[in-house]
Amino acid sequence: MSGASTSHSPPQMASITDVSGLFQNAKKYEELNVIGTGAYGTVYKARDLHNGGNIVAMKKVKVALTEDGIPLSTLREIALLRQLEAYRHPNIVRLLDVCHGGQSLERDSQLVLFLVFEHVDQDLESFLKRSLSPLSQNTIRSMSFDILSGIDFLHSHRIVHRDLKPHNLLVTSSGRVKLADFGLAKTYDTDMKLTSVVVTLWYRPPEVLLGTSYNTAVDVWSAGCVLAQLHTRKPLLPGASDSDQLHEIFRLIGRPSRQEWPENVSIMLDSFPAYQAQDLAEVLPRIHPHALELIKGMLIFDPAKRLTALDCLEHPYFTDEPLT
Amino acid sequence: MPYWYYDKKDLQNTPSFRDAISTDTENRYRKEGARFIIDTGSKMDLGYNTVATGVVYFHRFYMFHSFRTFPRYITACCCLFLAGKVEETPKKCKDIIKVAKSLLTEQKFASFGDDPKEEVMTLERILLQTIKFDLQVEHPYGYLLKYAKCLKGDKAKLQKMVQMAWTFVNDSLCTTLCLQWEPEVIAVALMFLAGKLSKFEVLDWNGRNPKHNAWWDMFVEDITMELLEDICHQVLDLYSPQPQSSGGDSPPAPPVSKQPKNDKKPPSITPPTSVSPIAVVTSKPVLTPMKNGADLKIEPPKIEPIRYTYPAYPGLAAPYPPPVYSAPPPALPPPPRLALGGPPPPALVYTEPPPAPPPRFPPVNVPPPNYFPPPLPGRGPPPPGPPPRPYYPPP
Repeated sequence: MSGASTSHSPPQMASITDVSGLFQNAKKYEELNVIGTGAYGTVYKARDLHNGGNIVAMKKVKVALTEDGIPLSTLREIALLRQLEAYRHPNIVRLLDVCHGGQSLERDSQLVLFLVFEHVDQDLESFLKRSLSPLSQNTIRSMSFDILSGIDFLHSHRIVHRDLKPHNLLVTSSGRVKLADFGLAKTYDTDMKLTSVVVTLWYRPPEVLLGTSYNTAVDVWSAGCVLAQLHTRKPLLPGASDSDQLHEIFRLIGRPSRQEWPENVSIMLDSFPAYQAQDLAEVLPRIHPHALELIKGMLIFDPAKRLTALDCLEHPYFTDEPLT
Repeated sequence: MPYWYYDKKDLQNTPSFRDAISTDTENRYRKEGARFIIDTGSKMDLGYNTVATGVVYFHRFYMFHSFRTFPRYITACCCLFLAGKVEETPKKCKDIIKVAKSLLTEQKFASFGDDPKEEVMTLERILLQTIKFDLQVEHPYGYLLKYAKCLKGDKAKLQKMVQMAWTFVNDSLCTTLCLQWEPEVIAVALMFLAGKLSKFEVLDWNGRNPKHNAWWDMFVEDITMELLEDICHQVLDLYSPQPQSSGGDSPPAPPVSKQPKNDKKPPSITPPTSVSPIAVVTSKPVLTPMKNGADLKIEPPKIEPIRYTYPAYPGLAAPYPPPVYSAPPPALPPPPRLALGGPPPPALVYTEPPPAPPPRFPPVNVPPPNYFPPPLPGRGPPPPGPPPRPYYPPP
């Protein structure tokens, strides 16, 4: 920047606000129909008009703007999702594009973000509903491995999914499972207060239900519930409310001991009957002993004692025989 | 996924070029914008990663828009503002504007309009859409340090070389190199250049195997001498006499001393023969112009040295240094920011590296990584983001 005087006037500059209209993505994707509405926003099936009309899944997330524009946490999370995409992990749904709805007419305080994902026809929930007979042992093992591989990948990048459930696990035409609907956890947190959608509790670990701090172990718990469901095609712990969900859990794994009960929890241990642990083999009949042992290790009350996703992948259930 | 690397033809045929702005002028605008981000960032104590990220956004932005449509200094502010948030070193928009105002002439600041903050806010959305929300950007700094760790030789000389390479990386932000090559490749090339200029010949390195001809073969495949020279020349061009930018926003007079960027090499550096201009330089004093043959003239930074003191070289302690939010090193005199035509600027001064930076993220409960990106080809798809742990085992 020289302090020299500038003798020529600058070239004609268009005002920034004049051209911002160019950046509406309305023309880029054509919304077809709603696939799902969740706590975190609406997912549409859409056509990618710039890519030969490819079908994509477009997730609409409203972001509250701050005095200094788009919140840092949202930007960090999008940056991370974009960065993850470079690895093209086979068990993670592809993130194809991120765009926003442009400037709205009124100077409003929110921005509509679109996360554009590959579209996969079915999720595990509908897959399980449609299968008329039990899944083969091979299918169960391969799907379990896919789910845990995806979780391990997220965890190795410091991402906690927090809402794993069959509805968020996509099943491709070749029977592979991909994780969807992760990330933007901090963004959702602020957004969630605005929605009153009922979120399924069946896959929630006790530490989340009790409101204590949690970490990557939450996903292992949820995956344990899903793995059990692959064997029976029925939810393992179908609680009807927060408190009922805890009862369901303790009925299965037994009421934790006083030493195990976390501090600073508003719910008293004594508010639960002294449930004795059930034999998981009775709940999951005819299950391979290795699979049983694995699921037991994933459904441990204390998050610190629970298996990690990597532990699970190295379990004899997967390593004793090669996966097909 | 967006791909951010362009060949020289694309770099010539930019939106600005199609908007009747000459390549020389565009390159000057890019350089001024980048320098402005560096100056503003350093004045606000932002770390080198934040500044570099902002500059990369800036260069990418103008691959889609003309400098005529979007004045460079307000775009630069917006890039720094966004980079601050992405790199978790946020600065308030109004503070960035305040510093920008102090660094710009009144006429240049006029391009910010009546409500500068609102303009930057609007521009933020345009910027995000333009760079396709691809916010995480890697820079050569971390690679420099990683490579240096593997090289064997006199420690003081090695240190000196890395410091020089670090400075070249800072300055390379003013070129379009980040639109041409992955940070790994730029790090190799500028370390190579620093090695030549500081007389540090790398004869051995950890992890050497018989297939390696040079140390960089261990890190990046298929780097040719021609490519290294091309990159080095683009940086060295920054130090050759520039046409004065007294014309403000209008294109400058036809340059006499400088060939268009997209030409292969400026003749002042290219020897008439096929002799490699860089490879033959082996035993000249550091930081003085070198001659090796009648026409060979490599001009190291002394000609027009670094006009800013930032960012400091953080030392070899950590493989991936976090942003250092420190003021410029105290050993340096205040940077002669507006030194165009002023007294000769100080020679390169290097400071003691600050203490080892803390790890960037707090440890979390995660298993070790199983997924490593594939090795980087000479010019393949963009490399994946920084892995949570190094790609290569420590030597």
